[in-house]
Amino acid sequence: MGKKFLLILAAMILMAPHIWAQDIALKGGTILTITNGTIENGTIVIQKGKIASMGKDITIPDGIRIIDVTGKFIMPGIIDSHTHIAITDGNEATDPVTPQILMWEALDPGSDSIRKTLAGGVTTVKTMHGSANVIGGVNVSIKLKYDRPIDDVIIPGVRQQLKMALGENPKRVYGERGRSPSTRMGNAYVARKAFVEAQEYKAKWAKYEKDKAAGKKDLTPPKKDLKMETLKMTLEKKFSIDCHTYRAEEIVWIINFCKEFGLDLLQISHCIDGYKVADVMAEAGVFYGGWVDSWGFKEEAYDGCPYGMQIMYEAGTKMVINSDSPVVGRYLFREAAKVLKYTDIPENEALKMITLNAAESMELDDRIGSLEKGKDGDIAVFDKHPLDSTTKCLMTIIEGEIFFDYAKQSVTAKGGSR
Amino acid sequence: MKKFTHVFLVVFFLFVIATAGLASDTILIKNGTIIPVKGGSSGVSDLLIENGKISQIRKNISVPTGIKVIDATGKFVYPGLVAVMTAIGVTGYPRAGNDTDEVGTSTPHMDPYDAINPEDDCIEVTRVGGVTTVHTVSGSRSVINGKSVILHLEGTLAEDMIINRYVAQIFNMGATEQNKYPSTRPGVVSYLRNMLNQAKDYAKKQSEKDQKSEQDKKSENDKEDFSKRDLAMEALVPVVTGKVPVVFITNSEVTIRNALSLIEEYKLNGIIRAGSGILKYADRIAEANIPVIWAGTESVPQRWEPHDLNFHTAAVLAEKGVLFTFDSGGYGPGSRNVRNINRPAAISVAHGLQEKDALEALTINPARILGIANEVGSLEKGKVANVAIWTGSPIQERSRVESVIIKGKLIPMSSFQTRLFDKFRKIVHERMKKK
Repeated sequence: MGKKFLLILAAMILMAPHIWAQDIALKGGTILTITNGTIENGTIVIQKGKIASMGKDITIPDGIRIIDVTGKFIMPGIIDSHTHIAITDGNEATDPVTPQILMWEALDPGSDSIRKTLAGGVTTVKTMHGSANVIGGVNVSIKLKYDRPIDDVIIPGVRQQLKMALGENPKRVYGERGRSPSTRMGNAYVARKAFVEAQEYKAKWAKYEKDKAAGKKDLTPPKKDLKMETLKMTLEKKFSIDCHTYRAEEIVWIINFCKEFGLDLLQISHCIDGYKVADVMAEAGVFYGGWVDSWGFKEEAYDGCPYGMQIMYEAGTKMVINSDSPVVGRYLFREAAKVLKYTDIPENEALKMITLNAAESMELDDRIGSLEKGKDGDIAVFDKHPLDSTTKCLMTIIEGEIFFDYAKQSVTAKGGSR
Repeated sequence: MKKFTHVFLVVFFLFVIATAGLASDTILIKNGTIIPVKGGSSGVSDLLIENGKISQIRKNISVPTGIKVIDATGKFVYPGLVAVMTAIGVTGYPRAGNDTDEVGTSTPHMDPYDAINPEDDCIEVTRVGGVTTVHTVSGSRSVINGKSVILHLEGTLAEDMIINRYVAQIFNMGATEQNKYPSTRPGVVSYLRNMLNQAKDYAKKQSEKDQKSEQDKKSENDKEDFSKRDLAMEALVPVVTGKVPVVFITNSEVTIRNALSLIEEYKLNGIIRAGSGILKYADRIAEANIPVIWAGTESVPQRWEPHDLNFHTAAVLAEKGVLFTFDSGGYGPGSRNVRNINRPAAISVAHGLQEKDALEALTINPARILGIANEVGSLEKGKVANVAIWTGSPIQERSRVESVIIKGKLIPMSSFQTRLFDKFRKIVHERMKKK
């Protein structure tokens, strides 16, 4: 008896990683696949957390939970590649270079911001510290599995990103204390100095490893430096780069800087002036990360121009819409609708900016960002087309598991206010 | 001689026609779907604008050739949106420096009229977004902030733009001071009580003085009166006499309650601007006919609240019959995007508000709240011709504004943002060609 019980317990423990992953089928909805058009009256089956099948005439395997979504719209879970939710700390604003700061060490999966963001159909975010430091630390890409253990929340195997910040913020934070950097020249110097030191650090370690391999005796390893460790890994492309900057000259600067040091620059965030150098960004293959129509909230944001996305579209610049905020993060689909107001960008391309493009900017486009067989079962269900401003999210599913259900969690569903 | 008279008459009439043309455009909007919001039903019709006013709304209006005709077939004709609580005109852009929020706990005499910059970049950006009339405030961070004005977003001088001065005074029930009185919310209430008491005394003295001077007009010496003028008190007198309404900025249940107490106690013409916590008081507010500026749609609810509590609040306010509009969020860091006043309306419609009520909240309701409903807020004969032609409902965030008419004048659909677009589109394409 006791043995049998232990066996069952052991089996349960072995199965633990799958314990939350449910099998589920959504039946009868309009499926916006993002990569393969729209399927009317379609069905999507998720098994073991992945999309098992999808289409018009799908046989749903026996015993699977079926949710009728007739008349509803299904899209891939929304992705926000620049936000600050679910973390306990903002800036280690004690030094302009703090690459030793790792944001998973501030991650709070029980943060209420996750619950509210889920209600906007968001399933994946890249969350990060602020922009006080030129080199601030390492971001963390997470699934919004509310209140789950951190190992379930952090996306395994993905290359995380080192965040840099240029412009007014580091200038202000350190300049006001009478320290450097207080100018854009200072920002550039701080960044260059750090990576030059990292190159030297990397060379020192390479020499040591080489000598060690050659069997040399009496070797003393170089001293470990945690700042340098992160930067060395960045030089080795084990981390990519997301750089916060507003102004055109800085955008060009960071692109050239990353070329100079051989760094993988994936996204430029807060990229207000991106449209002015759309061709340069397109050639570098770097993502525009930013808002649709924000402008003028600070000096360097003055030239924000919602029509600019049209120029970037024409130049072939890759674009993602970010919230940068726990407020807007709850309705990125509304931001996508505004793209259609100011540009002639097609609907599906606007939706890509909050799904597939965001996934690509986080190097997760093989797993999420579109509805395709084999991809993660991350889904947002809306009552109307997500670009219709009178829509709302009804359900948010991550890897087959329902994390938000309007029918249970809304004030309206209860038929009144509290 | 007779011939000369004829020539004179012809020249005279030409002159009259020419000057009438200069004053404002005569514009016919043809075949648009007219959504008047108030005073008529929606449907395809024509709308004629003459002398800055809406002169006719009916089918098949014919006009002489040479008159500007806008074909609005397939388009939607709405009244220009009216946005309250903005800083448009005093945002300091470009290159004027910020002119909101004068220093001081009590600055009731601050008047945006004294700082309005007709070149403020926000004016063009906002009006091409379909907002034609705004309520600009002097500030929001002090306990007593000052006056607020109504502007049409067209004109080269402040006098041309401002249609009403001192439409409301602005109090902030949560504007506690750091390390000086009042540093708490009850402190703010007693501070306001003290100021309102002083204003009542001042008003009483003034009226006694006025009566006295009426009686002894010849013997009184006016000099004495002028030496005792108190500009702050003068600004508060119309508040305590109920002639000018007060917007109470509140951000919590406590500050809403305190505002309601002051409104009752001093019989003020109060308007509640609420950031949260309004539903608990909705019945009381509806009963007292107190208008509401609802600012909390996009606020993130508390941990213990449903995620959509604030999304749903406008629907409840409408159900209870509260006269409400949405806050533009336009006097703080977000002040550049007053054009996005349709965002909270859209969210509210998604969560239960009727589209009709949402449209009223963006047009006629703010006009009613600020006492300008006879002039703007709907498409009705005789009203100021503030009109926007949209590709769809303003409730849809993808809808574009194609034409804007303010005070009967067709507005160029350009702003510094469209100019940046034109400039850099050319630059980027030229660089691409070279490669």
